Parts: sequence; C-alpha cells; structure tokens
Amino acid sequence: MTKNNNYIKRLIFSFLAVALIVIPASAFAAAPDGVKKDMLETGKKVYFKRCVWCHGVEGGGDGPSADRLFTRPRNFIQGTFKIRTTDSGELPMEQNLIDTVKNGLQGSAMPAWGEFLSENEIVSVVQFVKTLIQDRDFGDTDEEVNIQDFGTNPWGTKGPYHLGVPQADIDAGKEVFLKNKCFECHGGEGRGDGNPTMKDDWGFPIVAADWTQCWNFRGSRRDPYNPFNVVRTVSTGLNGTPMPNFKDQVTVEDRWKLAAFVNSLCPRKNIDKLTNKPIPDFLIQSVYTEGQVSPSIDDPSWQSPDTDSRIVAFPEEQAENPKRHYIAMAGQITRGKRNFDPKTDDLWVTSRWSAEDNAVYYLVEYHLRFMSQDPEYPDAVAIQWPAKLQDLFGAEKPYFIMGDSKKPVDIWKANFLPQDYSATNAPKPDGYKLDVKVEELVGFGIESVNAKESESKVQVVDSIFKQGRIKILFKRDLKTEGEFDVQIPTEKFIPISFMQWAGRDKEKDEHMAISTWYYTILKPALPQSLYYMPPIMAVVFVCFQGWLVWMTKRARKMYDEGKIRRDELPK
Amino acid sequence: MNKTLVSFLVFVVGLAVFHNAIFPIFTPKEIGWILNRYVYFLLFVAYLIITHFVLRLKPPIAMMGLFVWSIGFYFYKFVLYPPIPWTLFITYMVMWSIGTFLYISQDPETFREFRKPIVKTIVGEYKFAQIILLTAMPILVGFGTYKTIYPSYQEPVELRTVHPAPPATTKVHGKTYPLESTNNPFRVDEQDNYKDSFPFLDADKHEYMKYVTEGGTIFFQNCHYCHGDQLNGLGMFSHVFNPTPANFIDPGTIAMLQEAFIFWRVSKGGPGLPNESTPWSSAMPPWEEHLNTEEIWKVILFEYWYTGWHPRTFGTEGSEG
Repeated sequence: MTKNNNYIKRLIFSFLAVALIVIPASAFAAAPDGVKKDMLETGKKVYFKRCVWCHGVEGGGDGPSADRLFTRPRNFIQGTFKIRTTDSGELPMEQNLIDTVKNGLQGSAMPAWGEFLSENEIVSVVQFVKTLIQDRDFGDTDEEVNIQDFGTNPWGTKGPYHLGVPQADIDAGKEVFLKNKCFECHGGEGRGDGNPTMKDDWGFPIVAADWTQCWNFRGSRRDPYNPFNVVRTVSTGLNGTPMPNFKDQVTVEDRWKLAAFVNSLCPRKNIDKLTNKPIPDFLIQSVYTEGQVSPSIDDPSWQSPDTDSRIVAFPEEQAENPKRHYIAMAGQITRGKRNFDPKTDDLWVTSRWSAEDNAVYYLVEYHLRFMSQDPEYPDAVAIQWPAKLQDLFGAEKPYFIMGDSKKPVDIWKANFLPQDYSATNAPKPDGYKLDVKVEELVGFGIESVNAKESESKVQVVDSIFKQGRIKILFKRDLKTEGEFDVQIPTEKFIPISFMQWAGRDKEKDEHMAISTWYYTILKPALPQSLYYMPPIMAVVFVCFQGWLVWMTKRARKMYDEGKIRRDELPK
Repeated sequence: MNKTLVSFLVFVVGLAVFHNAIFPIFTPKEIGWILNRYVYFLLFVAYLIITHFVLRLKPPIAMMGLFVWSIGFYFYKFVLYPPIPWTLFITYMVMWSIGTFLYISQDPETFREFRKPIVKTIVGEYKFAQIILLTAMPILVGFGTYKTIYPSYQEPVELRTVHPAPPATTKVHGKTYPLESTNNPFRVDEQDNYKDSFPFLDADKHEYMKYVTEGGTIFFQNCHYCHGDQLNGLGMFSHVFNPTPANFIDPGTIAMLQEAFIFWRVSKGGPGLPNESTPWSSAMPPWEEHLNTEEIWKVILFEYWYTGWHPRTFGTEGSEG
C-alpha cells in the first residue's frame, strides 16, 4: 500500500517536474524526495570513510575537525541546509544535496567530491545523510517543498566570467540593494562588514558574505561569476543563518538586477579549477616612476582595477599603473600558537619605486570585516624580506615563518587602530583614519623576533580603513645602513612575503595569517631604445627590400637580354 | 573545376574531417595497436596521397610544399603525445622546414616553379601583392623589434627534487630510528582486511580500526588544511603554498615510499630536509613539535588505509627499481 502511495507521489512529482519545465514562472508544492533505502548500505560506507571526520558519527557537525574550522561543518540533525532551491525553512531537494556534495562549498573546508566519488556513491551518501536528520523526516506527509521561481538570466550571459550585463541594470540592482538595506549585514560596498553580532541557529558566530570575493560563496557551485547563484540565495535565503529570503520584497526581475550588482563587485580573476581560488600573482612588479611617487592612496597613480587585465582591459588612464597583485593567505597552522581560522583570505599588493625619490612603495590592501579597538591587540600587517639578501645563494630563502637561525628576515610591521570607530556603526563612505605605529623587526625564527637596533627607516605614509577594506602604504629608502635591513636592488628577483594579524581575534606574534614566499622586482624605466630602434630596423629592412627588388630586376634583365641562361652559372 | 583548388579543398576539408571526427575515435582511453594516434596520422597521410593519385591532382609545387610543411606542423603540434615543450617544438619545426625546402628544391624544374610566384611578386608583375608585402614587412619588423626590446618579467622557475634522499637514521623525541629497518608499530594486521570497516563504529571491535580512527582524528585536526579532506593535496589552504602540498592519492607519493621515510618527513618537515637540491620552500612543519611518536605513526597508518595504497617494503619482493 505504501509502495503504491509512493508510486503515485512520484507520478505526481514527475508531472510537476514537467510542469516546471513547461511553465517556468511558477512555484509549486510537492513532497520532498524520500530516502532510497536500497542505497543506504553504500551510503553508510562512504559516509564513514569520507564524511565522518568533520560531520561526526551522528551527523551533528561535531567530528574531530569541527572545533578547528570556521565555518563549522554542517550539523545534519535539524535538517537545516543552506543551499537549496526550496523555500526558506524547508528541506532541500535531493538534487540540491547532490550538487553540494559534487561541487563542495567554496570558502569552507567542504571539498568538491564530484571527481572523487562515483555518481552512485554520491547519490548513496546523500540518502544516508537524509537518515541522519532526527528532527524532521523526508518521508513525512506533512513535509512540503516549494521549488522557487528563479526566472531566467535576462541578458543571456554565459561563460566563466559572465560579462556583458548592461550598466543600467547594475545601477538598478544597486537601488534594490539600498532599498532593501542589504548593507546592514553586507556592508556599504558588500565586503560583509555590516553586522558583527550575528549568530547561526546553533549559537555559533557567523559573518555575512563578502561579495567582492565571490569565489568564496558557499553556493557558488564552482561557477562563481554566475549571477544565478545570487538569485537563488536571495530567493531562498540560507537556512540556519540570519539570511532571509527576499522573494516577497523583490520581484524576480529585480532579483536578477540585484544579482548583477552583487556580481559586478567581484573582481574577475583567473580561477584555479582545482582549488576554486584565484591563481596567486607570484611576481610583484614594482613600476618605475618618473620623479616623486605620490604618498597619497587616493592619487590617480595608485588606482588600478582588482580585475585581471587579460579578462577585462584596464581603462586607458590606468593602463600604465602598477598591477594589483593577488596574494593568497592562510592561517599559520604549523608553529607555536596556531591560527586555524584566519580572518583574511588574501592581500592585494601594488608597488612603485622612484630613483629620484630613492624610495620603494608597497601599497598593501586587504578585506577585514571588523577592526579591533583594543590597544593590546591592534590590527597589523607586515612585509617580510630576507634580511641578508646578499648572503643567499641561488634561490635560497629563509624559513617563511619569521626566518631561521642561519637566515634572518627583515619584517616591516604596521600596527594600527581606527579613530572614532565602532564595529556596529552604519557604513561610513569616507572611511576611518588609522593611528599607525611602525615596527621594524628582525626574525631568527618564531622564538627569536626582536626590534631592530638600527634607526627605523620604514614609514607608513598613508592609510585608511574604508568599507571593510584596509589600505596601508609602506615606504622605505632603497639603501639603508641597518645591519638587518634588506637592500633592494633593481632588476633583481627578491623574495617577499606577507603576514597579517586580526586584532579582534586576539591574534599576536606567530598567531597570524601568512603567505608563502613571493618574488618582487623593481622594474627599470623603459629603455630609450624602445623609441628609436623599431623605426631604424624598419628603415633598414626597407633598404634591404629595395636591394632585393633591384637585384631581381637586374637578373631578370640579364636573362631577357640573353647575357646568361636560366639555371646556369654565368661564365 | 580548377585542380589546384580541388587539391586545396581535399587537404583543408580532409584535415577538418579527420581532426574533428576521426581523431577522437583513434584516441580512446585504452590505447590499442590499431586505435592509436600514430595510426590515425598515417591514415591521414595515406588519404592525401590516394586522393591526389586517384583524382590525378597535381597542385603547383609551392602548394605541395605548403602541404608538406603543414603536415609536419600538425604532427608535432597535435598528434605527437605527450606534448613536447615549445623549445623542442621549434627545433623540430626548423628541421622539418629544412626538409620541406629540400623537397621543393629537389630538381631545378620544381625549384624554378616554386620561385616563379615569388619573383613575380618582387619585380612587380603581381602589383597588388608587391605593394602589400613591401609595406607590411617593414611594419612587422618594427613591431617585432619593439616587442623584443620591451622589458617583461616572468616569475623565476625553481626546480627541485621531488623525493629527497633520506638520512640513515632520524632522532625523534629522544629516540633514534634507523630508516631502513623501522616499521609502523601500529600495522598490527593486513590492511586489506579493513577496506570496508567503519572508523569510530568498529574502533572497539578491531584494534586496527582503533588506530585508523585515532590517526584520522589527528589528520583532520592538523593535516587536512593543506593535504585536503580527500588527501589529494587540495586542502582549504593548499592554494597558498608553492610548491603545493603533496597529493597522497597520486601513485608517485606515499604509494612508492616506505613508512619509515614518511615518518622522517612528518617528524622533521621542511626544515629537516637535506641541504642538497635546495630550495625546498616546503611549508611542512616539523610535526614532532606538536605530535608524539605514536600519533605520527597512526596518521601514517590512516593515510594508507584511506588511500588504499600499500607502503613500499624491501621484503621478499625486494626490488629497488
């Protein structure tokens, strides 16, 4: 009898599925997909081999790794799933769970299993996960799922970067953003810097998504620039989090426009298909500057798009500006006090140098939702160099975490606190001024990091915290006297790395976020020969062509006059 | 119809059909004696020769030269597998170009025929071609010069050995272990007996699964950030590091190493690597700072259980190669 019931249910469901295809603009109610019991045995095996380590024996999101993860693994017991096509509060469709397993949840520890497990294993493990839900039941007749209406992409944009949305629609989307007060949580420019007090359903702290790093959207489905991801989240909300749905406040058409706006904030970068993160720019190119370098972050000479110029061409007035290099950051999880939940995923570095100024400038930027106001734990960022560059042989480098006993490092550290700031303030478009204190350190390993004895030469000439983004402009003379000062030659590859401390998280010393070694190079001025050599070569070639024509015509004439015969050497 | 044109179409259309329709058939996952890319290439060449013979096509020697050159280009660029680096490609193509030239200049007759259109262009009998060529070439030369002089910088390439030479012994937590003869003390049974066992659930029933569970717990508290939940070196922090973390799924890592070697690498990390073949740039920490000896052995046991690989042994099978 129940089997029969199920059959009818399935029949109705498939009719509805067809209806969904035929009449796309309508939500409909159905029963959730039941558990396929014959797959549970395989599902259990997969779960206990692959999933149990984070999600726990009973699916409570309390596996061995859970306490060292931010965001924590999903607790299955309440049946609360973030990425769905169903209405807020409802159970997900089976396909939603399958997609999550296949694509992973970017920006969290959940990897994509699509290439690792077989289709059968994935579907099976999803069945098993359904049985871990205790508070609800996929077979319950009271349960209802309403697949939401998402409309279709009105611009027909496709491809990895989904370019080509008209500016008018992006602007209209911004109006929707302002009208619905999305900034209250997501911040004035979408960096998730709106609300520091949010908690999820289980009482764990949670932060709003940073729209300028769309590759970290949990629901990005390995297609981060697709505006559909945003439409889906706005339409369904994220269960278990403070993110509600806006399906009644915002029409489907407007949701796509809002998505276009959100999407336009995310810089187009070359995304690594395996890690789903932008590929780091392992060479930081410092651009030669005529005369003095501007010490102001707002100066046009410091403006460069975050986007990769190979994907979207830079505006002409910025074409000669230095590139903004993407530096990937990780928690320092290996030495001393370890940092398992870094608050910063990446830094953006821009650099200029000037011979006249005799100085090199590094503009370091990063996204930070909330700043610290505690003088004991200020926010900080540092650039790390080999202190004895001249002693390094070949590609040798000091240990990347504050050097080692044989190869010291030179650390330029800026500690800073914001002025008149409170994390709960409304977005402030002008940003906050920072009180900056520069430290110059020399590191022989994490146990031995000390302030330099020599005169301090590193300056922070400008800084700001604006709309969830910190900008620090470092300056130092090219040549200095200090024993452990890095000396920066031009046209040489010099190792460089970065460190960052989130004061609000009580990060200090080796408890920090860190990058690996990158290289930087001070590019020379463009050679003068660039302007006169090409015309000279062209003229030389014209002469050669003239000679060739003359020679050929002469030979031709000699044939015609019978002085020589073809294919015969003249006697 | 013009026979030259027919010949040209035979070549271009033939190549398009062969490359898009027939090439995939000859490159299956399991390569056979017949179904492989080189047989495909020979078939394509045979097709060209046979069609030209049957249709009695005799294209001008310049076009024949072009065909020959293109076939070589196609072979080195698309057929030859694995793909060759571009420097090698350039070298091969220079040789092939010389060969093509020899073919063209095989006798005075063909060589003259080949020269005819070129000479006509130079002396101005093909006026239009001459004007285009004489203006375009200097511009190209100027542009090429600009490109050559314009300074551009690429990230320096660093080469390193994948498997460092291990020391004879390693000292961890005050005890010295000879790498040749040390075995995992927790490998209490044959691993394959526990392929389908459950960690946690079977931890009380089988001693082996107890160790696997403990090892996995340590792995997922310390190692997965870099080596990944799938042990494939794609953890949530893996993209930060260069070189990227080791992929244990790959047959070239733990599958071909002794457990004692891994014990040494885990205990001593990047800083413990030998001085030769530097820089290692390894972000691997010396785990002896955080884990005791037993924990390190259990993690290693877990890694083999999870991936299904067996550690290399120098026992009865005893081959070093």
